[in-house]
Amino acid sequence: MHGMTSYFIRRLLLVPLTFACITFLVYSVIRLAPGGPIEQAQHQIRQAAMSEGGGGAALGTGQEFELPQEAMDQLKRYYKLDKPIYLGYLIWLGVWPDETKNGAFSGIAQGDFGTSYRYSDPVLDTIISKFPISIYFGLIGYIATWVVCIPLGVKKALEHRSAFDTVSSLAVFLGYSIPGFVAALALMLIFATDNFGMQILPLGDFRSEGWDEMWAQGEIWWCVKDQVSHTIIPLIAYMLAGFATMTILMKNSLLDNLGADYVRTAFAKGLSEKRVVFMHALRNSLIPICVGVGHAIGLLFAGSFLIEKTCNIPGMGLLGFNSLVERDYPVLMGILTIGVIIRLTGNIISDIVLALVDPRVRFG
Amino acid sequence: MTFVWKTLYLALVLAGGYQLTTRGIPWLYTCLGRRLGFSMKMTPITEKRVLRFKSIRRGHWSFVAISSLFVTSLFLELIVNERPLVIRFDGRTEFPALRDWTNKVLFFVDFPVFLPKNEFGQSGGGEVDYGFFRRSCDDPSLLDERITDAQEKAAKARARFEKLDPPGTDDSEFAKSRYEQRKITHEKRTQQLVDLQHSQEVFEAGEAGIVPTLYPYSPNSLRHSLDKPPPNKPSLGEGIPLGTTVAGRDVLVLLVYGFRISLAFALIVAVCGYAVGVITGGIQGYYGGWVDIGTQRFQEIWGSIPFLFTIMIIASLVTPSFAVLAFLMIVLRSWLGITFYVRGEFYREKAKDYVQAAIGSGVSDWKIITKHILPNSLVPVVTFAPFGIVAYIGALVSLDYLGFGLPPGTPSWGALLRQGLENVRFYPYLVFIPVAALASTLYGVVMVGEAVREAFDPKVFSRLR
Repeated sequence: MHGMTSYFIRRLLLVPLTFACITFLVYSVIRLAPGGPIEQAQHQIRQAAMSEGGGGAALGTGQEFELPQEAMDQLKRYYKLDKPIYLGYLIWLGVWPDETKNGAFSGIAQGDFGTSYRYSDPVLDTIISKFPISIYFGLIGYIATWVVCIPLGVKKALEHRSAFDTVSSLAVFLGYSIPGFVAALALMLIFATDNFGMQILPLGDFRSEGWDEMWAQGEIWWCVKDQVSHTIIPLIAYMLAGFATMTILMKNSLLDNLGADYVRTAFAKGLSEKRVVFMHALRNSLIPICVGVGHAIGLLFAGSFLIEKTCNIPGMGLLGFNSLVERDYPVLMGILTIGVIIRLTGNIISDIVLALVDPRVRFG
Repeated sequence: MTFVWKTLYLALVLAGGYQLTTRGIPWLYTCLGRRLGFSMKMTPITEKRVLRFKSIRRGHWSFVAISSLFVTSLFLELIVNERPLVIRFDGRTEFPALRDWTNKVLFFVDFPVFLPKNEFGQSGGGEVDYGFFRRSCDDPSLLDERITDAQEKAAKARARFEKLDPPGTDDSEFAKSRYEQRKITHEKRTQQLVDLQHSQEVFEAGEAGIVPTLYPYSPNSLRHSLDKPPPNKPSLGEGIPLGTTVAGRDVLVLLVYGFRISLAFALIVAVCGYAVGVITGGIQGYYGGWVDIGTQRFQEIWGSIPFLFTIMIIASLVTPSFAVLAFLMIVLRSWLGITFYVRGEFYREKAKDYVQAAIGSGVSDWKIITKHILPNSLVPVVTFAPFGIVAYIGALVSLDYLGFGLPPGTPSWGALLRQGLENVRFYPYLVFIPVAALASTLYGVVMVGEAVREAFDPKVFSRLR
C-alpha cells in the first residue's frame, strides 16, 4: 500500500502545479492580447467625441480625443491591468495584496473571481447560475449512455460476429464519426422544422418561453412535456460523444473476460451460462468502464459549447463562448479555472475508483 | 449533350485520380526509397498485414475511395475553377487555371493570374468575364447588344463634344477643362466602340477560343447570372446541382474545396504531430528514468489544457491562417496521445535480446532508436492515425463552425454548417448537404481505421461454448 499512497500524494502535488501552469498561460495570452477593455473604452470615447464634434471633428485628427494619462491610469487600475503580468496573475490568484481592495487579498483563493466587464455581475455567481443546466444535461446524458451502452455491449459480445453485431457496429461507428453538434443540427433539420413534415420537436432553447409562469400556475404536466421535448435533441448529441467508445469498450472487455481461465473453470464446474456470464464475467468486465466515472465529471459540468450554441442552451458552454466573443475576460478566466479544477479532480477520482474496484491495480 | 460530355470528363478525371493513387504514388514512393538506398521490400509480417487489410473490403474500398478523391482534389484548380484551362484571343494564348494551380502547389511562386477585360475583347475594367467570353465564342452576335449600346454612347459623346467650339486663349479655365473632358470622353467612347467591333470580328473569324474547366466556378465567384437572388435551391436545370449560399457562392464548389482543405489539414496535423510524438515517446521509453518522469509530468500538465478553448482564445485575438491553425493544433494536442503508446512499445522492445545485443556491440543510441526499435514499434501509430484524422477534421469543422477557424472567405465545411444553422428553417439544403458530406467522409475514415486496427492489431477471442 506504500507505493499507492506515495503515488496519490505525488498526483495531488501535481495538481496545483498543473493548475498554475494552465491559468498562467491563459492569463498571459489574454493580457498580451490587443483589443482589451482599455482599447475598447478608448475606441468608444473617440467614437463618441467624433459624432458629437460634428463639423469640428473634421478639423482634428482624433488626437485630442485621446484619454488623459490620469484617466488611463484610473481605467487600468479599475480593470486591474496596471501591474506587470506576473503580479497581476498573483493578485488574480489571491496570494498578493490587491491595492484596489485596500491591500486585502482578493483572488480566486478567496473565492473572488472578479466582476464581469460586460454585466458587472460577480463572475462566480454567473457561473454557478449556469451549473444546473450543465449538470442536467451531463447527468441525464451520462446515465442514458450507461443504460443503453452496457446492455448493447453485452449483447454484441455474446453474439460476436453475428449479423446483429455487424449491423450494430456499423451504426455505432456512424455515431462515432459524426460530431455531436452536427448530429444536433441534422436532427433539428428533420424533427424541428417543417421541411420533412415531421415537426414534432422544438427548434433549440432550454425551455419554452413561458415555462416559469406555467410552472407557477401548477401546469406540471405541460411543463414536463415541454422540458422533455426540449431535451431530446441535445441529449442525443451529448450521448454521441461517448457512445461508441463505451459500447466497444464494454464489448471488448467482456470478450476478454469470456476467454479467461476463470470463466472456463466456472463452466467446468457446471454452472449455467447465464450465471457465468452475468455473475462472473460481467462484473470483472465493468472495471474499465467504471474508470470513466471520473472523466465524466468533467462532462457533467463543462458542457459543450458546440452543442449549446447549436441548440441555444444557456449553459456553461454558451456562457464561455459568449464571454470569448464579447471579450469578457474575467468570465472567461473563471470558466477556464473551474473547468480545469473539475477536470483535475475527475482524473484523480478516476484513479481512486480504479484502485477501489480492482484490487489488482497497483500504481507506483 | 454537354451533360454526357461532362459526365465522361468527370469519370475520366476520377479514373485518373484512382490510377495515380493506387499505382502512381506507390511506384513513386518505391523508386524514391530505392534511390535513397532503402530496401523497399515489405517484411513478411507487414505483407501479411497489408493482405489482411485488403481482405476487409469495407475498409479497403473506403481507403481507396477517400485517398483517390483526395489525390484528385489536389488538382482541383484544373477541374473546378472559374478561370479556364486555355483561353485564346487574337493570337494570344494563356493558361490561367494552370497558373492558379502552380501558385497553389508551389507556394513560393506567384504567377499573375489576372487577365484584364480590355485585352480580351471586353469593355470595362476588372478581370475577364469568362462565362460571357465562352458564350460569345459560341455566338458572336451576343456582342450586338453591347455594340448597339456602345454606338449610342459614342454618338452621344460625339454630339456633346461637337456642340462646343474649341476654346480660344481668352476663354475661362472652366470652358477649357470642359472642352478637354468632353474630348477625352468622346475619344474613349469611340475607342471602346472600335474595340468591341474588332473583338466581334475576332470572334466571328474564330480566332478566339476557350477551354473551360469541368465546373467553371471558383469558391469566391458569385453566381449572379441566375434568375432569382441567392440563396438558390439546388436545381440541375439551372446548373446549380447543390444550390448557392446566402451570398451567392456555389455550394458544390465550396464543398469540394472544403473537402481538400479539411483532409489536408488533418493529414498535416496527424503526420507532424505523430512525428513529434514518436520521437518524444521513443526517447522516453528508451532512456527511462528522470527523462521519462520529467517529460511525462510535463505532458500531463500540457494535456490538461482545454485545447479547443485555447485555440479559440488565440483565434479571437488574431485571425489564424491555415499554417498557424495547424501549428497550434500540433503543439497543443496532436503529438500527445501517441507518445504513451510509443513509449510503452519502446520499453517492451528495449528489454528484448536484439536491442541488448546492439547496445552491447556499441551501436549509437540514435541508430538503435531509429533503425532497430522504431520499425518494430510503429503499429500504434498506424492504427491510431485514421482516428486522429477523424478528430482533427472534426476540430477544424468545429472551429470554423464557431467562427474561430480559417480566415473568412476560405471554403470550409464549418462555415457552411454555420450558414446552415442560421437558415435551418427555410433553406434545409444548406444543412443537409454539408452534414451529408462531413458524415460520409468521416464515416469512411472510421471504416478505414477499423479495418487497419483489425489488420495490424487483431484481437483473437477464444471462447468456450
